[in-house]
Amino acid sequence: MTRASVSLRPSTRSLHAILRVVGWIGLGLIAVAVSLSDFLASAPADATGIGPLLAAPSAALRFGSDMLGRDMLSETLHGLSATVRAALPATLVTLVAGALFGFVAARLPRPLAEALRGIGGILASLPALLLAVLFIGLTARGWAGVAAGLSAAPFAFVRAFERAREQERATHSEYARATGISAATLLRRDLVYEFSDSILSSAARALAAVSIVLSTVSFLGFGAVPPHRDLGLMIAASKLYFLHAWWTAAFPALALTVLILFARLAAGLDEGERA
Amino acid sequence: MLRFVVREAARTGLSLLGAALLAAAISALAAPHAGDGTWSFLVAWGRTLDAFVHLDFGRSSISGGAALDELGAHLPLTLGLVAEGFAVALIVGIPVGFLFGAGPARRAAAPLIQIVSAAPIFCAGLALAYVAANLLHWPVPLDNGITSGLVLLPRTVRAFEIALLPVLTVGLAGAAAAQLALRRGGAAGTAQPWRTQLHRMGLPVWEIETVYGVPRILGGLLSGLGEVMLALLSAAAVAEWVFNYAGAADLFVKSVALHDWAIVAPILLSFAGLTLVADFIGRCAARPLADPGVRQ
Repeated sequence: MTRASVSLRPSTRSLHAILRVVGWIGLGLIAVAVSLSDFLASAPADATGIGPLLAAPSAALRFGSDMLGRDMLSETLHGLSATVRAALPATLVTLVAGALFGFVAARLPRPLAEALRGIGGILASLPALLLAVLFIGLTARGWAGVAAGLSAAPFAFVRAFERAREQERATHSEYARATGISAATLLRRDLVYEFSDSILSSAARALAAVSIVLSTVSFLGFGAVPPHRDLGLMIAASKLYFLHAWWTAAFPALALTVLILFARLAAGLDEGERA
Repeated sequence: MLRFVVREAARTGLSLLGAALLAAAISALAAPHAGDGTWSFLVAWGRTLDAFVHLDFGRSSISGGAALDELGAHLPLTLGLVAEGFAVALIVGIPVGFLFGAGPARRAAAPLIQIVSAAPIFCAGLALAYVAANLLHWPVPLDNGITSGLVLLPRTVRAFEIALLPVLTVGLAGAAAAQLALRRGGAAGTAQPWRTQLHRMGLPVWEIETVYGVPRILGGLLSGLGEVMLALLSAAAVAEWVFNYAGAADLFVKSVALHDWAIVAPILLSFAGLTLVADFIGRCAARPLADPGVRQ
């Protein structure tokens, strides 16, 4: 249960709890599908000529085939695997550079903390998508995961910073300071309390955010490099054909939407909270 | 209230200054010898900052045109798209936010809204294009080269059909952000003690909601104006890419790909400026709604 949901009515709280469990079960199933993608997929990644070109879904090819005759079911599984594998390190980057660093930054000496908060605010005033594109342009496409994580970090940084400031003003902090507990000890205790309570929720929230950014930068041509296609690149490749072959875009888009949905549900977002 | 506005204005001004420093650092990458070392980069950064002060944003390394001219040629399309998308966002987002922002509907709608808003905006754009092309038989500009002339005020049905898809794509992204902000405002007011106390004083529920509840929900939308602008700008980048329109967001993506940093910098600065100004206006406008004492 997140702290914000404590004030919710019991029925709303139980609905939140159910949705979070659904989200984690969904993410667990996706993790299994990703781990076993080479086994579950009937064709290896990027294997062309498996079926006729642009064949509609049928008993033989359940998700149909694309413009190079690739089996869309196998490709969607491989694409999901590529997206999740890139999103996991990106999630870690967001957690460390955003949530953790934001919390610690708020307890630094006031001028330094305010300067860092200002930098975080400026970066958060840019769309995460364009920030990720910029980071990739400044480095290389191989760094897309880190770039997606860094682009989602400013928002997480600002949120964690404000949360830490809130805790600094809380009664327990006043008592702790009055009883002589050092600032470092108080920070360590607050960090443990904060992260043991919300690490899973923060990770799921970051996973949802970086999955959107990663797939969109791939869609724009800045992410995955062929032949290692992720879901964004698969959807981009289908752009010229999907108006008369809907399955080339629909199944990768559905897989991506399901991944983001489960991550959001697992995060247990409160009313009006963004991922 | 005046103190609040001055403080917020100072904060916004500092953030704009920071955004200008960031943009100048990026633009400095285009300077010759900027990559020779830290000192060379700092010198190039200083020179670029000096040029920025004189409104000289450099020249494109691809087209050779002045960066400001390139921005002037592409930004109006993006601004028009954002403005019309904002109108759609308000038309769609406000009723949805109010409908699902209060009462028992809020709890029932929460999972449904999660499902609908989980689709990334480029998937939503392509879905709209599919529906328009196959069900409505509208012209969909997906694969007929770059178009620079999106008619944002269409006079014919055909021009309206062409303009509607990118505007709807941007508008839906904005609507998602707007309803989120409204529901946040609604949720924040639900647990407030004044609601019960006003009811005990004999005020009917509808009066409490309309006189005290609605301004706070609207305050939620206004204080989230910066977030709505971010969603609109992100969606504009995707819509311009999907529907092949040569706006500033599309120019940003292509300029980064070509390492044309002199073009990237002013676009970045203008987008940051738009978000920061929207955030400032929203916060100032939300203040009297959140605190009726200020309104008086």
